[in-house]
Amino acid sequence: MSRSRWAFSGARAAVCLLLIGCVTAPRESILAGPEAPIAPLGSAPLDTTPKTDLRMVPPEVYLRTYLRLFGGLAPTDAQKAARGAQGGALFDSWDDYVSALGFPDYRLDIPRQAQTNAFMIATFERLGVALCDRAVEHDLRARPPLPVEQRLLFAFDLPPGIVDRAAFDPRFDVLHRTFLGYPAALAPSERVPRFFQLFREISSLHPQASPKSKFTSAEAGWAAVCYGLVRHPEFQLY
Amino acid sequence: MLIGSRTLALLVILSAAALVAIDARSAPPSASRSLDDYKHFRIASIDLLGRMPTREEIASFEEPNFDLDRWIDGHLGGPAYAERLTRVYMDLLRLEPNLNFSTGPAQLFRQEILDSSGKATFVYFRAGQRRAREATDAEFCLTPDESGLTVRANAPTVGTPKRVSARVLEAATTLVRPWWLYRDYPDPHPQARYGESWAQPDPEYRPVETLLLDRDGKPTEEVRVCLEEAARNGEGHIFASGRSKTPPPGTPLPPGRIKPAPVDTAYARDHKGETVPCETKLAAIASVDCGCGVGLERCMPNDGIVQGNAFYFPNHMPLGSGLPLDSVKQQAQRWFPYWWSREAVHFLDHLFTDDRDFREILTGKETWVNGPLSQFYKTIQRGNCCGPEAGFGMLEEREPLFLPSNVPADLRPQDVSEWRLVQDRGPHAAGILTMPMFLEKYASARARGAVLYNAFLCKSFTAGNAALGPSDEPNLMKRPGCQSCHTSLEPLAAYFARVEPGSFVFLPESLFPAKNSKCKKDKNGHLSGLCNPLYDVAFADDGGAVLRSAYGSLSHADATPAGAAVDITSSPEFAACATQRVASSFLGRATTTDDTKLLDSLTRTFVTSGYRMRPLVAGILRSAEYRKANNAP
Repeated sequence: MSRSRWAFSGARAAVCLLLIGCVTAPRESILAGPEAPIAPLGSAPLDTTPKTDLRMVPPEVYLRTYLRLFGGLAPTDAQKAARGAQGGALFDSWDDYVSALGFPDYRLDIPRQAQTNAFMIATFERLGVALCDRAVEHDLRARPPLPVEQRLLFAFDLPPGIVDRAAFDPRFDVLHRTFLGYPAALAPSERVPRFFQLFREISSLHPQASPKSKFTSAEAGWAAVCYGLVRHPEFQLY
Repeated sequence: MLIGSRTLALLVILSAAALVAIDARSAPPSASRSLDDYKHFRIASIDLLGRMPTREEIASFEEPNFDLDRWIDGHLGGPAYAERLTRVYMDLLRLEPNLNFSTGPAQLFRQEILDSSGKATFVYFRAGQRRAREATDAEFCLTPDESGLTVRANAPTVGTPKRVSARVLEAATTLVRPWWLYRDYPDPHPQARYGESWAQPDPEYRPVETLLLDRDGKPTEEVRVCLEEAARNGEGHIFASGRSKTPPPGTPLPPGRIKPAPVDTAYARDHKGETVPCETKLAAIASVDCGCGVGLERCMPNDGIVQGNAFYFPNHMPLGSGLPLDSVKQQAQRWFPYWWSREAVHFLDHLFTDDRDFREILTGKETWVNGPLSQFYKTIQRGNCCGPEAGFGMLEEREPLFLPSNVPADLRPQDVSEWRLVQDRGPHAAGILTMPMFLEKYASARARGAVLYNAFLCKSFTAGNAALGPSDEPNLMKRPGCQSCHTSLEPLAAYFARVEPGSFVFLPESLFPAKNSKCKKDKNGHLSGLCNPLYDVAFADDGGAVLRSAYGSLSHADATPAGAAVDITSSPEFAACATQRVASSFLGRATTTDDTKLLDSLTRTFVTSGYRMRPLVAGILRSAEYRKANNAP
């Protein structure tokens, strides 16, 4: 008997057994309750607290924080500084962003946005990049170098040579506290290594960037860390 | 080897120096602070400081002697706290003007003409201004024959300008130093011109360039104004031309006119020569000697023939007027509505900053005004009255919601940043309910009642499974399908029956009884033309007609908006609703039945503290629910 005929006969036998089982199986009955009391294994209090996910930082808070990080400038001055000599390449205007950030428009009875959306996230990204790039220029590229206490975001000196974890961690902690409000040591354990990896990859790939960036490798690395934090969900939610 | 040791030593020194630089800003986490503690501090900063905490504030928080309770108490009452609470009620009430508001009778437009030397010059005028000269009565003060131009209301001018002779120009116009250019415009010879000897004007007061410069680009020293508009009188006289009938079609028009001259109203004929206060609407439509007053202060300039621009002010200022996001040219008709909105925000800010009894949001007699609002309440608002009311004997507002005599006398229209407390607006004042911003935003009595019901009682009008069958029942409290909502809404709306819809003219009980026996239906079932605008034919019988919007409760109509304020604030739902509104905003979610215990406790705190927000907010910030507001696993 060939292998295929064996297989066919086996399958036919299995179907027959299944059919016999269906016909002859005893009728199931569902008991009204357990046959014997179920012994408790332990007790836990019932948590009736309403559960709510993180909420969006009010746009007023986002804007006020943004302006403070920009050096405590008035919105119109921050817009001027953010646009710089590049015009709209880095920053458009507050009027372009105001509705995207979720502000209500009382004149037109448009309520405030309570949830993020794709357009809002894109706006956060654009604003964040402008903030970080201008901060690199202000804090790290100033000549003569600015005293640390006058720096806006990067309140540390760039270490000479290759940046290892020992040099990266305390500097990252400065930025982490600035944007997210608590020490990096309390963040999920993978956060610092991942940001370090981001820093190293950007720094090492930077010389190959085209078109050429005006930033050095280290500056580009720190700018990338800044982008990551200013766009971090914890920055926009609370 | 020696070199290697030196290099190593140098690296150690450099690293140490770098760490010293970092140490000042990057501290290790405080052993006594958990991640939850940091997050609690962050959300409290967001709510009380209006921003995320700085590194320095986090470092302070990490100090062992940091007292969060004291920190919370210290920031309850700051500007960010007041702004936070104002935001809760601005989100609910949305007290900003939409684009359709207009202050109507005070608009001063301008037409470009050629003077006798051929120089282009502007002449300011009011639409519909009455003039003794038949050729220009209710028209521009120069005829098409004189200027070559046909100036039309709300339409572009047509024609080819020609030189206006000096004699004609002097006869029809005059030169004025107006309020928008001169700080000292009330003086007989104003000298303090904007940007010159008035060197430091209020930074928020910014006329558009077109009002500051002549056609040739030179600074405007004086503006040319039609003679009637330039009149400075406080009182004028009812003018009757003697024209009683519109000429039949085909009748030749008087020289210079493009349409027949207006005929006298019955009122003008009967009261010819009687005095009339120049700020009133009656003066604007029935006198020739009531102009825009001293320095044209009763009028708003437009830089165009239709709706023109007047001032720069922001479109967006979510962080307050001190931090605008922009500053753009705005139409003249938006100037006062813009300040109405600022008045409401100022009122709310001070209510929360001073931790006043929250019921004053509806019952308070006080308000805050600046220069433009002072100008508005002293003069402009009086131009809203009176039209149909004159037939009932009210030629000017008898009992305005804001008595002009209570406006600070020394504020000038240019004092835009100077805000003064007015302790008492007048006997009918009732918190935000009698502010122009609220009354214009919610133009009808029903809209006003509905927003109160929702914002301050946390209730909404949602009909059940109502079937809307055909019905001719005018009383919505009885009409099937409508009654479930209107039984509550109509009595609330009645409180606003004495404040005209889309306006803020107050109809006093002495002249406008809630049921007026003089307003009866005629044999055709109509009310007289006099009564019809103000009284409701659907609620008229042999005994008279009911004031519009008053049928839900005549007693509520007589109680006025101040009665609504008392009714709402004494309702048991008022305190619970305020607690729920604020708690929900701070928790960042809608409250549920699981929050009942917290809300009850907070409401007790709120009421026993005399309806003060500060203890309520302190209670929220210290609650476990607030700390765990974002507690989803």
